[in-house]
Amino acid sequence: MKRLISALAVSTALVTPAFAQDTQVIGVSIPAATHGWAGGMNYFAQAAIDRLEETYPQLDFVLATAADPSRQVNDIEDMLATRNISALVVLPFESEPLTGPVQNVANAGVWVTVVDRGLSVEGIEDLYVAGDNPGFGRVSGEYMVSQMPDGGDIVVLRGIPTTIDNERVAGFEAAIEGSGINVLGMEHGNWNRDTSFEVMQDFLSRHPQIDAVWASDDDMAIGVLAAIEAAGRDDVQFVLGGAGMKEMIQRVMDGDTMIPANVTYPPSMIATAIEVTALGVVSQTPVSGEFIIGSVLVTQDNAEQFYYPDSPF
Amino acid sequence: MTIATLSSPKIKMSVIGPIVALVVLIIMGALMNPNFLSAGNISNVLSRSAFIGIIAVGMTFVITAGGLDLSVGSMAAFIAGLMILVMNTALPVMGIGIPIVLLGMAVALFAGLFAGMLNGVLITRLGMDAFIVTLGSMGIYRSLVTWLADGGTLSLDFSLRTFYQPVYYGGTLGVSWPIIVFALVVIGGELLMRSTAFGRHCAAIGSNDQVARYSSVRVARVRMLTYVMLGVLVGIATIMYVPRLGSASSATGLLWELEAIAAVIVGGTALKGGFGRVWGTVIGVLILTLIGNILNLTDLVSPYLNGAIQGAIIILAVVLQRGRKPGQ
Amino acid sequence: MGHAVTTPILALSKVSKSFGPIEVLHGADIALHPGRVHALIGENGAGKSTMMKILTGYQPPSAGLVMLQGQPVSFADMGQAEAQGISLIHQEFNLADHLTVAENIFLGSELRRGWFLDKPAMRARSRDLLGRLRCDVDPDRLISDLSNSDKQMVEIAKALLRDTNVLIMDEPTAVLTRTETAVLLDQVRALRGHGTAVLFTSHKLDEVVAIADDLTIMRDGSVVWSGPANEMDEHQMAEAMVGREISTLYPPKDSMKGALALEVEGFHVPGFAEDIHFTLRKGEVLGIAGLIGSGRTETFEGLAGLRAAHGTVRINGDTVTIRHPWEALALGLAYLTEDRKTRGLLLTKGLRENLTLQSLHKFSNWVINTRAEDAALNHAVTEFDIRGSRSVDVGSLSGGNQQKLLFAKTMLSDPDILVIDEPTRGIDIGTKQQMYEFIRKLAAEGRAIVVISSEMQEVIGLSDRVLVMRQGRIAGELTGDSATEDAIVRLAMGVGQSAPLERTA
Repeated sequence: MKRLISALAVSTALVTPAFAQDTQVIGVSIPAATHGWAGGMNYFAQAAIDRLEETYPQLDFVLATAADPSRQVNDIEDMLATRNISALVVLPFESEPLTGPVQNVANAGVWVTVVDRGLSVEGIEDLYVAGDNPGFGRVSGEYMVSQMPDGGDIVVLRGIPTTIDNERVAGFEAAIEGSGINVLGMEHGNWNRDTSFEVMQDFLSRHPQIDAVWASDDDMAIGVLAAIEAAGRDDVQFVLGGAGMKEMIQRVMDGDTMIPANVTYPPSMIATAIEVTALGVVSQTPVSGEFIIGSVLVTQDNAEQFYYPDSPF
Repeated sequence: MTIATLSSPKIKMSVIGPIVALVVLIIMGALMNPNFLSAGNISNVLSRSAFIGIIAVGMTFVITAGGLDLSVGSMAAFIAGLMILVMNTALPVMGIGIPIVLLGMAVALFAGLFAGMLNGVLITRLGMDAFIVTLGSMGIYRSLVTWLADGGTLSLDFSLRTFYQPVYYGGTLGVSWPIIVFALVVIGGELLMRSTAFGRHCAAIGSNDQVARYSSVRVARVRMLTYVMLGVLVGIATIMYVPRLGSASSATGLLWELEAIAAVIVGGTALKGGFGRVWGTVIGVLILTLIGNILNLTDLVSPYLNGAIQGAIIILAVVLQRGRKPGQ
Repeated sequence: MGHAVTTPILALSKVSKSFGPIEVLHGADIALHPGRVHALIGENGAGKSTMMKILTGYQPPSAGLVMLQGQPVSFADMGQAEAQGISLIHQEFNLADHLTVAENIFLGSELRRGWFLDKPAMRARSRDLLGRLRCDVDPDRLISDLSNSDKQMVEIAKALLRDTNVLIMDEPTAVLTRTETAVLLDQVRALRGHGTAVLFTSHKLDEVVAIADDLTIMRDGSVVWSGPANEMDEHQMAEAMVGREISTLYPPKDSMKGALALEVEGFHVPGFAEDIHFTLRKGEVLGIAGLIGSGRTETFEGLAGLRAAHGTVRINGDTVTIRHPWEALALGLAYLTEDRKTRGLLLTKGLRENLTLQSLHKFSNWVINTRAEDAALNHAVTEFDIRGSRSVDVGSLSGGNQQKLLFAKTMLSDPDILVIDEPTRGIDIGTKQQMYEFIRKLAAEGRAIVVISSEMQEVIGLSDRVLVMRQGRIAGELTGDSATEDAIVRLAMGVGQSAPLERTA
């Protein structure tokens, strides 16, 4: 679906060449690269900006990465006050603290695109581009059910306690309900390799038989795999990660039995958002509304389409 | 002569407090899950204690001498990143083998030495406050590793990692290497603290640096050495850490500095300096690691409350030591 | 007495004070009258500060009465004395450096308007109070920016705010230059004009002559002379202060003088001492006298590498450069600090750790030999007669035992040249005598020794030769019979000379 949008953007770019307007500024505010997914998101944001600046000489981009919500608020306020932005693409660190500042930006007549995490008040943004967290959980759960038709015992590693994590887990639980799959334990691995390594070690000590692991994230899956390998346990049949890290996609492509599949939650959604926003700024194309990027199951059959060797994620 | 010979038979709470806390934790763990005392779990807990533990031993000296180092966590991340980068770069030239692993280890040790020296020079020669200097270097190393990893994760070449992996997972006589190295560092540290002029000088400087200066102790050099030693130990910890997952990112070593400091204090070393004991630090590290382990092994409390339990036990362990000087 | 017609506003009658078994004040009398300036003089340790502390309720008397307006009173603390209009200005200023003048004057009794501070009123009142002292410091200036005399004025203004009728000042001019002193004395005269009773101590006898109406001279915890100030001249005052023969407290000076151990020429400690020159022979005890703040301590800290200093130093004839204390120690020069509690000993550590701290290398060869340390402690305990439990922290030893331990610690490093700063500060007479014997014994062993002391008798009784320092310079050298307290006082205070207008601290 991302490809579809890129294609749309490119074709529009061809339709409206060099519109010779005054330079317009688009602000992009995203969290800093503190974990793998965010690192990928930073990469795609930068790549999209480089590409668009070349395509549309009349566009100027301001990219700001913030390490915490309050700094992100500062970034956004600065963009409005000093850079005279025409549009803002924001991936909010957290919904609550960013709602007010983004609303101010919208009230100033600036186009607002919100990515991934919705704001607390509806109707502020002109465009909403997001992944599908309940869907991410549901697709993962459905895959688990399909792989274990007779049921089985699994453990689950959760991310940092947030709405995103809760929605994913709720979707997952709904999908496996009544399937005979029994969740032995759920602990927070905080989307961190080291933490999930230790959590998985303890799961292995605690449960003599684990059939599969839903690691729910590729960084966590790496920690989980290392722990299983170190313990020399062969009862675990497979680990399902998520988000589409290139190393993991590679292993799916190669037919690794421990990593038979992946579920996308593409960090490139930021690029989608930036491109569509740019399109809206330079042309009359209607782009407002919601744009939900579904989570797709990646298996050996389709893995090649989801492999981006240049991305850091 | 009215000097009584050195004997204080009364049990000091400051000594047994941390031990009591540890024993209570172990009993709790054993009651809650039969696997808790299995060889596998004990080995896991000790191995994962090794990183923080090795660093905390160095931290014990820094704190005893009246200093503080907040940069160790990000220093570890930076060293890990640098090590991976150097090893990956050297791979086409050197090929997989012991030399490239030794190269990586040398890089880690020298990077640690240099980073410690940098902190030490700023603190002792320029007379800046340890808190500020290391807060600054903490930020610098953390963003350097993010920059080295281009915002993502630096991963050691897969086959190289497989070759290097035994350094974390392997061992001798049934004991894994991180545990052995940790034990050696602890024994060396305990000896250094308890029985050498250096350890004595650290305690003297921490309790009153003016007295130490007037007693012809080389205050600046001893302080400097504590930071250098800590840096080298961070390097050693990183040597053990890298083969575990073979990667480094900006999330590596997050909050290790606080865990190390907490372990040192839980173990009975005075935060304001002047008194330190390495064996206590080991107890502190084990207490901290065991809390997480026990919480993972049981469903006693909501995982949301893990931090609260950890905090409560840290405070409790320190309260238990307060038999030392009641009412002062 | 009976020289004053008024009733004393504040007086002590037969007041004694003991600390433990040691009585430091023996049945002393003093009477302060409104509108009169009373000077209290005496050597260090004569009991002046104890008397001032009792007058201001800081310490209660062990025996005798404190009389306020002729009635006996007992102040439970300084607050009660202050409420009666009695203020003490300490030698070290009691001001918050980072607050303004007005904030300091009103500290603890701020004016409020409702919930908020009434800053304009406090400012105006401060200006008014300082005006009465003829001091035109802006109330909004920070204390840290003021000169010492202005700080003194702020202290006095603070006292005035609290309706002081008795103002007690401990060496108010010690840190002032000559001109600043002149300003202060003018203002004391103004206060006297307003009917305030003023008591002050000073080592500068010319000031006493210039301003005092009444005079009390103390020696060894007793009042030895009391009366109108104009009955005494400076020389008589000095004689009364020191007027006592040197007792047999001091061991005979019978050590053999050997070769030159230390030669110092053109030695400067920036900010504290300049152009210091002297020589010291093996087996010799050189006494250093001078007022506190005359640069004595700083000079020798400079020599020992504890302070930045420059100049020519020769040890045993070789020119040496000493930039750090360990370099001094390696050359056999040790400095024993005057401040044993914050610079000499680790109060929270045991005897053994303290004893060996300075010479740990002698006990360690990679690993410390604790058995050898214990043996050294046994030896030190016997040789220096250190009493007390070995298992306690050094902080709980008595002052005398701490001093002996500090001495033992320094001697463990076996220095050839030993500088001892205030060897007997705050210790009792018995321990003093022991210390003197140790010092003479060390000289007899052929060591070269410098003794810095504020007690003139000690300097005279102990030393073969005395150097007197004043305002960072060597003011003179006294040997043999010429080394009298009178002579030292004259040199130290510059009596009979026109003092240069320099800052002394």
